[in-house]
Amino acid sequence: MTHHEVEKYRKPIRILHWIHSGAFVLLFLTGLIIFIPGLGFLAEDSWTRVIHRVGAAIFVIIPLIYLVINPKSVGQGLKKAFTWGNGDMGWLKAAPRYYFLGDEKEMPPQGEMNTGQKLWWFLTLVFGVIFVITGAVMWFAKLSAPAAVLQWMVFVHDVAFIVTGAMLLLHIYLGVFHPMMTEAWNSMTGGKISTEYAKKHHAKWYAEISKGKE
Amino acid sequence: MAEKAILYDATKCTACRGCQVACKQWNGNDEVIPIIENGVDSKNRGSYENPADLSPTTWLKMRFTEVEAGGRVRWLFTRQACMHCTDAACVRVCPNGSLYHSELGFVSYNKDTCTGCGYCADACPFSIPRSDRNLITGIAKMDKCTLCTTQGLDRLAEGMEPACVKTCPPGALIYGDRSALVAEGKARVTALKAAGWNNAYLYGENELGGLHVMYVLDDSPAVYGLPVSPQVSAATIAWKDVIQPVGWAVGGLTIIGLGMNWLVARANANKEGK
Repeated sequence: MTHHEVEKYRKPIRILHWIHSGAFVLLFLTGLIIFIPGLGFLAEDSWTRVIHRVGAAIFVIIPLIYLVINPKSVGQGLKKAFTWGNGDMGWLKAAPRYYFLGDEKEMPPQGEMNTGQKLWWFLTLVFGVIFVITGAVMWFAKLSAPAAVLQWMVFVHDVAFIVTGAMLLLHIYLGVFHPMMTEAWNSMTGGKISTEYAKKHHAKWYAEISKGKE
Repeated sequence: MAEKAILYDATKCTACRGCQVACKQWNGNDEVIPIIENGVDSKNRGSYENPADLSPTTWLKMRFTEVEAGGRVRWLFTRQACMHCTDAACVRVCPNGSLYHSELGFVSYNKDTCTGCGYCADACPFSIPRSDRNLITGIAKMDKCTLCTTQGLDRLAEGMEPACVKTCPPGALIYGDRSALVAEGKARVTALKAAGWNNAYLYGENELGGLHVMYVLDDSPAVYGLPVSPQVSAATIAWKDVIQPVGWAVGGLTIIGLGMNWLVARANANKEGK
């Protein structure tokens, strides 16, 4: 049997993903040690703050570079987070049986991103912006903003940290460990998935990209 | 060990600022005097307060307040330094316990383990902690009054009084057991009231669970420019008592949830595979 593959993520997207996620993991870990009292000793002498700031700079600059290189792709990507349709309600209803029991009967055909991925991507955008704004205030206005403002910035930053920390665990789990997501990892490393996997997981998208080809 | 405290009597203070000098001298916090050709680079800031503010090397500063009352100007003095709160916001928010209560009740800190986050400075109801902060890298270390308990410079452990108390010429500062000083402060307030100072007040007896630096005032704290009812801020409580436990719960439940999903989904995948 010949093995047919389709490209799920183009190379620039994959590079963007890995640099940006690497920066996020760096930010997450250096944030975590100041959040958990037992790990706080690792932050002595401010050196994790320096790493946190290097991570923050990468976190902000890399997407901006990508925006300059390929604004169209960014526009399309942003649009996906705000495009919701009938298949999405169906996904929400079918998701528990699907992800726990592998029951695909009720799962409506999904686009390039399924509802869960869109939701994840939407929250990533929202909390990414929140992180950058609150972080910038704590970085650049530490000596000028009122103390109460700085305290609430820490609060909001940490709310975002908790939500996105849970999202990070979910993302790694679905990308690497979930028994049904056999090719999710491949899609973000080599960029390609098998046509079988594409039909099964992203039927709507596969129908769109294969239109007129067969 | 009995809790200790400092009692400051604003009605005895002459604002000589000997305490400021003694504090700097004992703790090795030299002041840099800006020099220009043939003189000192001085500015008139409209006050006799000097230096202008607390800093990592100025842990104690006398605050001068001018008040007009009854057709005359009153020049009021208070002591601006760590109040060593019982319910200390800085101790609550310190991420790794670098700030802690000593057995004498004072708020001590371990400068070696300080991460320089600055949460204490933002949480303090009296705006006391200071740090030299590199705004770009974020490298910082906090400093504040240690009540002369800095390791290697610990006067109290050697049975001495804090430097500021030792030097005070009019005896406006006294050091001793907190309970004895509360009684002494109350007696002085009673005497002030008897002399016609109806708003006389012992500041720090009950504020923030009891301060370890208390003030005898001949007027209300507001007149002296002190926070009338200092509180641990809502943001401090929201962060420490809400966000941190919620973080643990969300993190734990996520891991448990994903683990359960993995067990169930794997079992089903194996079943279908057979």
